[in-house]
Amino acid sequence: MSKYEINELYDHTQEPFHLKHLLTDLGERTLYDAAAQCNRCGYCETVCPTYMLTGRETISARGRNQFLRLLIEGKIRDTGSAEESFSTCMLCGACSSVCYAKVPTPDLVLEGRRSKDGYGQSLPARLGMNLLLNNRGLFEFLLKIGFLLKRLGLAALAGKLGLYSFIGMPSLGAAQDSLSNAPLKFLRDIFRMDTALSPEGKKEISWAYFAPCGPNYVFPEVGLATVALLKRFFGDGVFADNFCCGLLAYNYGRITEAREFAKKNILRFEELKDILGDFAIVGDCSSCVAFMKSYEQLFTGDETWRPRAKAFASAVKDILEALPAEKLHKIKGREPAEGETVTYHDSCRACHGQGIRSEPRAALRKLVEKSFVELPESDWCCGGAGAYAFTQTSLSNSVLDRKIKNIASTQAGTVLVGATSCLLQINAGLRKKYPSAKAVHYSVFMDNLTKC
Amino acid sequence: MFKKHRIEGIRRDLEKAVGAENVFTDDAEILMYSYDAGMARAKPEAVLLFTSTNQVAPVVKILYAAGIPFLPRIAGTNLSGGTIPLRGGVILNLSLLNKIRQIDTVNRMALVEPGVVNLRLQQELDKFGFFYAPDPASQKVSTIGGNIGENAGGPQCLKYGVTCDNVERLEVVTPEGDIKLWAHSDPGPDLMSLIIGSEGTLGVVTRAWLKILEKPKIIKTAVAAFASIDNAISAVTKIIGAGIIPRALEAMDKVSLDAAKKSLKTDYPPGTEAILLIELDGSSDRKITGELRHIEDICKASFSTYFRTAADPAEREALWQARKGAYPAMARLAPNVLVEDGVVPRPRLPEALKETRDILSKYKITAGLLFHAGDGNLHPNMIFDERDVQEVKRVNKAGYEILKSCIRLGGTISGEHGIGVEKRVAMNWMYDAATLDFFDAIKKAFDPKDLANPDKILPVAEDRRAKENSFQPDLLGEAAAALISELRLRRDKGVKSAVKGLGTRLYADPAARGAKALETAGLNRILDLDRENLTIRAEAGLPVRELKKWLKKAGYGVALPDLDGTLGGAIAAKAWPDMRHILLGMDVAMADGSVLSFGGKTVKNVAGYDALKLFCGSLGAYGVILTVTLRTALDAGPQQGPAKDVRNKFRPDDYHRRLKKAFDPGNLLNPWIYGE
Repeated sequence: MSKYEINELYDHTQEPFHLKHLLTDLGERTLYDAAAQCNRCGYCETVCPTYMLTGRETISARGRNQFLRLLIEGKIRDTGSAEESFSTCMLCGACSSVCYAKVPTPDLVLEGRRSKDGYGQSLPARLGMNLLLNNRGLFEFLLKIGFLLKRLGLAALAGKLGLYSFIGMPSLGAAQDSLSNAPLKFLRDIFRMDTALSPEGKKEISWAYFAPCGPNYVFPEVGLATVALLKRFFGDGVFADNFCCGLLAYNYGRITEAREFAKKNILRFEELKDILGDFAIVGDCSSCVAFMKSYEQLFTGDETWRPRAKAFASAVKDILEALPAEKLHKIKGREPAEGETVTYHDSCRACHGQGIRSEPRAALRKLVEKSFVELPESDWCCGGAGAYAFTQTSLSNSVLDRKIKNIASTQAGTVLVGATSCLLQINAGLRKKYPSAKAVHYSVFMDNLTKC
Repeated sequence: MFKKHRIEGIRRDLEKAVGAENVFTDDAEILMYSYDAGMARAKPEAVLLFTSTNQVAPVVKILYAAGIPFLPRIAGTNLSGGTIPLRGGVILNLSLLNKIRQIDTVNRMALVEPGVVNLRLQQELDKFGFFYAPDPASQKVSTIGGNIGENAGGPQCLKYGVTCDNVERLEVVTPEGDIKLWAHSDPGPDLMSLIIGSEGTLGVVTRAWLKILEKPKIIKTAVAAFASIDNAISAVTKIIGAGIIPRALEAMDKVSLDAAKKSLKTDYPPGTEAILLIELDGSSDRKITGELRHIEDICKASFSTYFRTAADPAEREALWQARKGAYPAMARLAPNVLVEDGVVPRPRLPEALKETRDILSKYKITAGLLFHAGDGNLHPNMIFDERDVQEVKRVNKAGYEILKSCIRLGGTISGEHGIGVEKRVAMNWMYDAATLDFFDAIKKAFDPKDLANPDKILPVAEDRRAKENSFQPDLLGEAAAALISELRLRRDKGVKSAVKGLGTRLYADPAARGAKALETAGLNRILDLDRENLTIRAEAGLPVRELKKWLKKAGYGVALPDLDGTLGGAIAAKAWPDMRHILLGMDVAMADGSVLSFGGKTVKNVAGYDALKLFCGSLGAYGVILTVTLRTALDAGPQQGPAKDVRNKFRPDDYHRRLKKAFDPGNLLNPWIYGE
C-alpha cells in the first residue's frame, strides 16, 4: 500500500509482536506512512503535557514522532536512545486530537516501545498477563489475598510479598493508599449470581454490560451504578461476563496476549449475539472502551479476525455517551445541595480516544445545570495513565498538580471522571492537596441523581 | 561531526548559569533540535533550557567568549529553517520563559517573555477587552519571541500592521551578552525595529513590551464568491482604492476551497473559482454598514456570484472556517505542505497569481492558493511528500520561480515567514551586492565573531553573485545624481558634509562643525503616485507641507502631521515616530556615494534587516535619504499627536556607534552627531 517499504525499527521476525497496519483518521497506513504524515507543524506542542511542563522537544509529541520516524528510516539505530522520549509519553492522545492529519502518536509511541529489546518481558508483565489470560481464578485469588491483607492493616506486607508484581499489577500495590475500599467480592462475582443479568430466557436486549478491570476488581460500585443506569433507561440487558479487554497487555508490550484477550471477548460477543441479536456493549472505563473500539487495528494482518473485531468494535459504547440528555430527568431531592458545584474532567481516552466531549456535558447541563462548572483545561491528562504514575513519578506529579490546581480554581466539591485510572489518580492528588473535593465516577453520580 | 570538546570546556560555566539539569548534550536530546517545520536539518552540540530570562545574558557571554555559535528557539515552527543550527553550537531553549508579566490597559501595553504563545496572550487580553494585532495563522502554537524574530503578520495586519508596528520596546541580549533596552521611540536610529525580523542573528529578545488595542465594538464579516480569481482581485483593488481598510481581506482559490469543503457550512455557487473574506471593524454601526454596502456594490460590479454578510457570531465563525480550514485540509492531502510567502504590490496580484499558477502546473504540483489579498501576500500551499526526492526538487524549483516572479512584479520574497536558510539564496535575486554588503555590515557591527544564528538571512559566500554596479543613480534624476557625485567628490577629498534640507533642524552652523552643507532642497520632485496601490514616492528634499498639499489636490492624503521642513529631514529626525507605519521604501546615498534601495511598494517585507527604520532617527549621520515611498490613504489620515523633536536628546548607544562606523567610517556625514 505504500511506496516506501522501509522499516528499520524491527526485523521481520518481530512482526507478530507489532501492528501490521495502523488504522488512522486518513485510512489504513503502514507504520512508516503514519509517522511520515507528521509535517512538524508543532500544533501538538500546545497540548502535550510533558512538553508543556518541561519545554523539552525530546519529550514532546512531535519529538516522539520524529524519533520513531528516524528509527524506521534507520537514521538512528539504537532504540535505547529514544527510551526517555517514548517512556515519558502518557499516551493521552491530546496531540492527535489537535493534529490536522490526526497522526496517531500514541500508537506510534507504543510501536516504538515494542521495538525495544526486553520490552514486555518483565516478570510481572509476563506472569501477570499469563495469569489473567489463562488462570483468572488464581489471579483473582491472589488479588483478594492482597486486598485482605490491606483490610487487616497489613498493606505493606502484600507489597513485600511481591504479590501485586506477581499478578502484573505493581501499580495496584503502589496505589494502596488510594484504595479506600479494597473489595473482597469482585463485580464479576456479583453479576454472575444476578439472574436478572443473565441471558437466559431473554430474546432481545439493548445492552450488555462489559466489566472493565477497574470496576471489576477495584471499584465495583461503579459497575453497579452503570448497570442500574442501563436498566433504568434502556430496560433489559445482560452482563457480558467478559474478559479483560487486553489494554493492560497491549500497553505492557504484550500484543500477542492483547490479541488473545480481544479474541475471547469477541467470541463472547458473538455467542451472545447469536441468541440475542444486536445490542450495545457498554463499558464504564474509558480506557478499556476506547481500546475495544480499536480492536480492528489489532488484527489488520489477520483477515479472519479483522471483520469480527470490526463488528465487535462498532457495538462498543462508553457509558459517558450512552446516556442521552433527552432521556434523563431529574428526581426531586437528588440534585446537589445549594452552593455545591460539580465539574467534569475529560478522561483522555474518552475525549481524545473516542471524541466524547459534548454528550456527558449535555446530560450534566440538563440535570445539574446550576451546579455545573467547566473545568479549565478539562482535557489535560491527570497523569494516571495506567502505570505511568508509578514509572514516571515526578512528571506524573507535575501533571497531576496542574489538574488539582485547575480543580481548585473551580471550587467544585465533585469532579466527575469516566476512567478508573483517573479516579485513583485524581483522588490521590485531591487527598493530598485539595481534600474538600472528591473525584466520582460519572456512573455513580448519574445513578444517584436519577435514582427514585 | 562537531568538536564536542568545545562544550566540555565551558560546561561547568553553563551548568552554573542554568543549572546542571538544564544542560543537555546527549545524542538523543540534540537530535531533537535538528529540525523545525521547514526542511533543513542540522544538529546542535548542546541544548540549554532556561528557567529565567536573567540567565540568558550570562550564557550568551560565555558562548561568545568561547566562540561557540548559538541561537534561540522556542516552539520550532519556523517555515524557513530559521531555527536550524547550521554550524552546530548551542540551542537556547526559551520555551519555559513563558510568563505574561504585565497587562497595562491604561498605557495599552503588555509585557511578556518570549515563550508566550500568541494565542494565549490574546486569550488573556480578551478578558480585559483588548487584543494584540499580529495574528499569524500559527498563533495557536507560535510564540511572541518567534513572531518578533520573523516579524510575523496575519490577516489583521492589513489594518493594524505587522509585528514591528505593534512592539513598543524590547529587552535584547546582544550577541556579546550585553543587555539592552531599546524602544522605537528612543531618540536616534531605531535599533528596536532592527531586531524585529532579524531571526536571532542580531541578538536574543528576552522581554517585549507590546502594543495592545481595545477590541473593536463591532465586527462584521462578509463573504463573496467569484467565477474567476481576476474578478476577485479586481474587487480587492477597488475596495482598498475606495479608501476602505478592512480588518482582514483574505482570498482563497478553488483548490483550497475544495480541500476545505468538509468544514464548510456554506455552499458556493457552482463555478466558483475564488472567494473573498472581508471583515470590517469599528465603533460606528452606521459607518460599517455603509462600508459593507459599498463593498457589496464593488463586488457586484466585479461580477461576484454570491455575497453574504454573517448575521451573528456563529455565522461569522462559520465563514472563517473556510479560510482557517484550508491549510489543515491541505495538510491531510499529503504529508508535507510548503507554504510560499511572496508579496507583490496589490494591483499586480492578478499577474502574480497567473504566473504562480503557470509555474505550479509546469512542475505538476498541487497547491491551494490562499492569500492575504489586501496586502498582496500570496501563500501557495504546495503539497508533497518529502520522502519523494524528485517531488521535493520540483517543489523547491517551483517555489524559487514563484519568488522570482514576485520580485519581477515589484514585490518581495517574504512577507511574514522570514528568510532563514531556505530563502537565503533568493536574497541574491532581490538585492544588489551593495545592499547585501550593507546588511552584512549591520550583522558584523552587532556580531563581529558571527556567532548569533550564523548563516541565516544573508546568502553565504559561495552563493553570492558577483559584484556589479546594478544601481544606476541617473534613474533617480538630475538632482540626485548631482548630490551623489558631490558626495563621491567629498569622500575622495575627505570633506565632511552637513546634510541640509530647508535648514529646519540644522540649527548649528555647518562650518563651525567642520562640515560643508550638502543641500537636498533640489530633490523636490514627486516621482510616482500609484493610485491603485495607494503609495506615493517622492524625493526627500520635498517639504512635508508641499507633499500634503499636492496629495490633497490629487484627492489623497497621508498619515503625517503638518511637519516643518523636508520629508527626508522629518524622517531623519524621527519627528513623527508613528511614521514607521507608513514608511514603505527609501533610496539612500551612503557616505561613500553608493546608493542603496530598501523596501518598495509592498506593505509587507521581511527580506533582510529593516533598514528603513534604521534611517528613521539617523539624523543624517548614516546616509542621505534621497527618495521616500509612503503609504497613502484616501482621506487625510490621522493628524493627532504632537510632532516630537528628539534631535537634542540623542545619546548614541554603543551599537549606534558601531553602525556609524560601519556605514561611515570616515565620519563624513553630520560628523558632530557622533562627536569628533
